[in-house]
Amino acid sequence: MADEQKPGGSGAPLPAGGEAAKQPPKPSPPKPAAPPPKPPATMAATPWESDLPRELKERFGGQIVETSTYLGQNFIVAKPEAAVPILEYLKLEADFDYLVDITAVDWPKRPERFDLVYIVYSFSRNERVRIKTYIPDGYKPETAVGVHLTANWLEREAFDMFGIEFAGHPDLRRILMPEDWQGYPLRKDYSIIQQDQRWVQENLGIESGQ
Amino acid sequence: MKAASDASMPDTTFLDSTELVLNMGPQHPSTHGVLRVILKLDGEKIMGTDCVIGYLHRGVEKIAENRTWAQFNPYVDRMDYVASVSNGLGYCLVVEKLLNVEAPPRAQVVRVILTELNRIASHLVWLGTHALDIGAITPVFYCFREREEALNIFEKYCGARLTTHAFRIGGLQYETYDGFEQDVKAFCDMFPAKVDEYEELLTGNRIWKGRLTNVGVLTADECKEYGVTGPLLRAAGVKWDLRKAQPYSGYEKYDFEIPTRQNGDTFDRYMVRIAEMRQAVRIIRQAVENIPEGPIMGKVGKVIKPPVGEAYVSIEAPKGELGYYAVSDGSTQPYRVRVRPPSFVNLQALDRMVRGLLVADICAVIGTLDIVLGEVDR
Amino acid sequence: MSGSGILRKIFLVDLFQGLAVTFRNQTPKDTVTEQYPAERPKVAERYRGAPRLNNNPENGETLCIACNLCALACPENLIVVGSERNEQTRRKELTTFTYDLSRCMFCGLCEDACPVDALELTQDFELASYSRPGMIWDRQMLEEGPRPTQYKC
Repeated sequence: MADEQKPGGSGAPLPAGGEAAKQPPKPSPPKPAAPPPKPPATMAATPWESDLPRELKERFGGQIVETSTYLGQNFIVAKPEAAVPILEYLKLEADFDYLVDITAVDWPKRPERFDLVYIVYSFSRNERVRIKTYIPDGYKPETAVGVHLTANWLEREAFDMFGIEFAGHPDLRRILMPEDWQGYPLRKDYSIIQQDQRWVQENLGIESGQ
Repeated sequence: MKAASDASMPDTTFLDSTELVLNMGPQHPSTHGVLRVILKLDGEKIMGTDCVIGYLHRGVEKIAENRTWAQFNPYVDRMDYVASVSNGLGYCLVVEKLLNVEAPPRAQVVRVILTELNRIASHLVWLGTHALDIGAITPVFYCFREREEALNIFEKYCGARLTTHAFRIGGLQYETYDGFEQDVKAFCDMFPAKVDEYEELLTGNRIWKGRLTNVGVLTADECKEYGVTGPLLRAAGVKWDLRKAQPYSGYEKYDFEIPTRQNGDTFDRYMVRIAEMRQAVRIIRQAVENIPEGPIMGKVGKVIKPPVGEAYVSIEAPKGELGYYAVSDGSTQPYRVRVRPPSFVNLQALDRMVRGLLVADICAVIGTLDIVLGEVDR
Repeated sequence: MSGSGILRKIFLVDLFQGLAVTFRNQTPKDTVTEQYPAERPKVAERYRGAPRLNNNPENGETLCIACNLCALACPENLIVVGSERNEQTRRKELTTFTYDLSRCMFCGLCEDACPVDALELTQDFELASYSRPGMIWDRQMLEEGPRPTQYKC
């Protein structure tokens, strides 16, 4: 915190710099090789051992990439085309009849840019499961409206904020932003003060919203 | 607004001349905020609705990505501004989950007291405004008079009445003030008589019963299909409350009931919320009897940097299941905070609830959903 | 329907019960309206109102040590602390302190962050100003507090 406020020009002068200005610079010893860059930290998830992931793996085989748990919360990572069949299976066979949420997370540096997350809950088992799929930009996942009616507005919001179009959705249009807004606000490349200037000028009659 | 949003209006092929498209615009005294509902009517009967929301969208989730974890705490209050303490509780719980710390027992008990007081305050606003929409002008004054007492306790505790910012990540910032227990006990002693007064005004009243019974029926199966939670689900007969099913912040220690009713109509939701207010008083009484001594802040460093991971925590807010899904990438700023708003998901069911009702009933149904547009739009 | 049921219906008994509640509440001593401009409401001690820079009561100097913690804690980044280093005491001294009230949400994070209790949110809530720049308070305004024009009715 004190660094933020260096008063101008009154830090301690470096003695080495003062001396080096008088003598020719000595050749510096060879630097040791830089340590290899650490891999980016990942979530410390542990495998999820239970009946439910076993049944899912039997039923869906290779389409389920991993079943893990982190901090006591269970989640499955599945291939994108398996997401809705898994939701259907969970609703009909495993009694997960309540879709809590559909959301997405944007990881721009990954080739599969978006993390599409479905959270379902079962009243009878009192359990919550997350189903994550990694989808690239431009991929159109199948809509979950056929399985849970809740998905209607939740998918509209994912479309509005991230631009993920859901194939087969009955009414896919923007829900929170105005209908003809360009740009998808929650993507990481959309700056926090960015606005659709054309929309602002046409509809509000002012030069800029800032 | 230009006709760009007319893309959602139904096509102009009317079956006969009594079909009408009516706009219940964003400025309306009964829509509890800036909610626009486009009604397709056949005479006076509603054939279908289309909700246009987003007038109060402030980009709270985007703001979260540009603030540190502790700095985002005050923004969370402003979503459901009527029940801001619950919002703060949910957010603090999810960050504490990511950090794998728990608030100390004293902090948990005070959190429960304040959250239940907030539930009473939120239901009082609901009751007052709902009655006002139906046409009963008296209850709103009495409800707001009682709400003053609860808001006074918030003000004395944390300094603000509405956007309280009462909790911090890891516990509480402020010790309870001198006289906190007396104030809370005085509120608990005063309040049940007032609830009896509201019931005397409304429950037996033939006009109230006539306006509310069989209006906006949502059965238990429909609730589960639409993901509707909170008092709407309980009025439909499903005995489910997150405080009992997945307790948080020490709720398992308190003895309270989950009020349910059978029909799932507006009158049942009214009865459920009145009963919830009474149960909330019961919880507060139990909590304030024995507030344990001890620290009020858990072991959280000065800089909050949760390890890489994600968590979803949900609480039973007055309006339903309020969930927070937080993704951390190991830095001091959240990578993504998603708020699962109960009012947003409950509002989807509006279309199913009003089919076949009259225009006058739509105000009753919007009121019974108990939506707060700050939460719907974030 | 039983006999008493029909009588209750005809004689509007339930409506009169409600009216009884209304009339019970009509006593003038139960009035809870605060007559605001005439009497200023008493706000709580911890109320988060207008910010104030406190001075040391003994020698009148500012308590602020220009550590900039409040500026870092603010979610809206609206505090700017200007300081210069005093060569004799080798400490930072406060020169300017700017607080933008127009964007402040009175969350109290700056007050919580201050280690010496120099910045405090007081009980002042009458903060209206006629101009936008008038809401940006400098050090003098912060130390003295707002002085709203008082009217007598």
